Amino acid sequence: MKTLLEFRSVNKTYQNGNHALRGVSFKVKEGEFVSIIGPSGSGKSTVLRSINRLQGISSGSITFDGEEISKLRGRALRALRRRIGMIFQNYNLVLPLSVIQNALHGRLGSMGPIKGILGLYSEDDKRKALAILDELGIGDFALTRASDLSGGQKQRVGIARALMQDPKLLLCDEPIASLDPQSARTIMDLLRDQAASRGIACIVNLHQLDIARAYSDRIIGLRRGVVVFDGAPTDLDDDVLRRIYGDGFSQDNVQGGQADAHADLACA
Amino acid sequence: MRTRILLVPKKTRRMYTAFIAVIIALFVISTLSTDFDAFTLIGKSNAIWQFISEDFIPPKLPSESKVYDIFEGVLVTLALAMSSTTLAAILAFFTALFGSEQVSPYPFAARFVRSFATFLRNIPTLVWAFILFSSLGIGTGVGFAALLITSYAFMCRAFIETMEDVSDDCCESLMAVGASFPQRVFQAIVPSCVIGFISWYLYCLEVNIRASTIVGMVGGGGIGLVLFSYIKTFQYGISCSIIMVIAVMVIAVDQITGAIRRELSK
Repeated sequence: MKTLLEFRSVNKTYQNGNHALRGVSFKVKEGEFVSIIGPSGSGKSTVLRSINRLQGISSGSITFDGEEISKLRGRALRALRRRIGMIFQNYNLVLPLSVIQNALHGRLGSMGPIKGILGLYSEDDKRKALAILDELGIGDFALTRASDLSGGQKQRVGIARALMQDPKLLLCDEPIASLDPQSARTIMDLLRDQAASRGIACIVNLHQLDIARAYSDRIIGLRRGVVVFDGAPTDLDDDVLRRIYGDGFSQDNVQGGQADAHADLACA
Repeated sequence: MRTRILLVPKKTRRMYTAFIAVIIALFVISTLSTDFDAFTLIGKSNAIWQFISEDFIPPKLPSESKVYDIFEGVLVTLALAMSSTTLAAILAFFTALFGSEQVSPYPFAARFVRSFATFLRNIPTLVWAFILFSSLGIGTGVGFAALLITSYAFMCRAFIETMEDVSDDCCESLMAVGASFPQRVFQAIVPSCVIGFISWYLYCLEVNIRASTIVGMVGGGGIGLVLFSYIKTFQYGISCSIIMVIAVMVIAVDQITGAIRRELSK
């Protein structure tokens, strides 16, 4: 399989001196499902957000589909973003708008400026949006206000919006962190199935180890901005997990993220 | 000796005592320096009461042709407030886009936009009116401009705050799909903020109806000018009727905009 995305010794230093990424290098192949795990503040979000340039990087290079993207600006940057879908922890929907309007937002990058401003989507786009909503099991809610949906339903709208872009890559920033375990499973199933059937590569930031193990082709472990693991889910043993989450690690307390680990200590 | 148990830290109590002392001192000093004497006012209350009861009441109706003038004045005042507030809202919307650091494509300039709006707003409408009358002469056009400037500046601030409250997340997601700045504005910010914008617009309309009466008195036309001409010619009975008309107008507008705003916030 062809390489879709490549990081070469990427560094990111924030203005406050915080060193978020240190020499990060990895590759993602077309259609691959990759999870990034690591404690809070390890740089997972920074990695994702530097791919579609919601944040810039300080040095290094990122290539997407054979093109260097870390210096893109203006029109070229918008063209890049159009090819990369993103799913957010807080869904980031426009709540007063209907479900189908939110899904159609995925087309904005490919539309003329005036049509986009007025929301004049083509009938083909609308049909496609309805079909995707149906596939995701929220076809009946097409005209419901996004604010009236449950968390799991909102995230499905988020997925629909990303799929409307016909992306080659999906970036999922903690897509299930605000959901109950049942909805989380549903969302992960939908993500995996849709990505597989459409040949879309996925990079998913996760706090839940079991989920990362169950769904990923490959897992990348980050600690303090450094890639400390890059391999198959089966290679993720206790030794590796201690490298990612630190010495206090045990299988139980990573489940709900690092905050729980601290809470456990406080109670003990 | 038993010490008393404190309920409030000593420092807090001292702070409150000092605060009250300063307020009392300021009141005494400022009262003395303005030569205002509450006792004179009470002593003369008889004269005030006489003026109100004999000159103002009962309200008199002017001749039939003048009644027409009064209602025309009310309409001019309403129109003045309505048109200046609406134009101000449109201008303020476009300015506010550049005054919010989250939304503006030039976040570094946002601070300057905000300071500009604050500067305009801190000069009261009446002062603007006098400045404009001195340079452009009397007329409804100048009243319109004075109201426009202050309500524009007020709505700039209000709209910026409305945008900063709601649209961070959804703006980001539209940026991620490759939407341009105008597309983000009209597909994310406007739908999320439109209720807030309308609510501030209606509030501003209320304020401007009162303000346009006052601006009218100093030369901006409308019911304010009509009222002022009757007061100047000592026709207090008619003035009283006009004041009642103004009160009814303001109350009616307040009720209507208030009802709409309650409906919107549901």
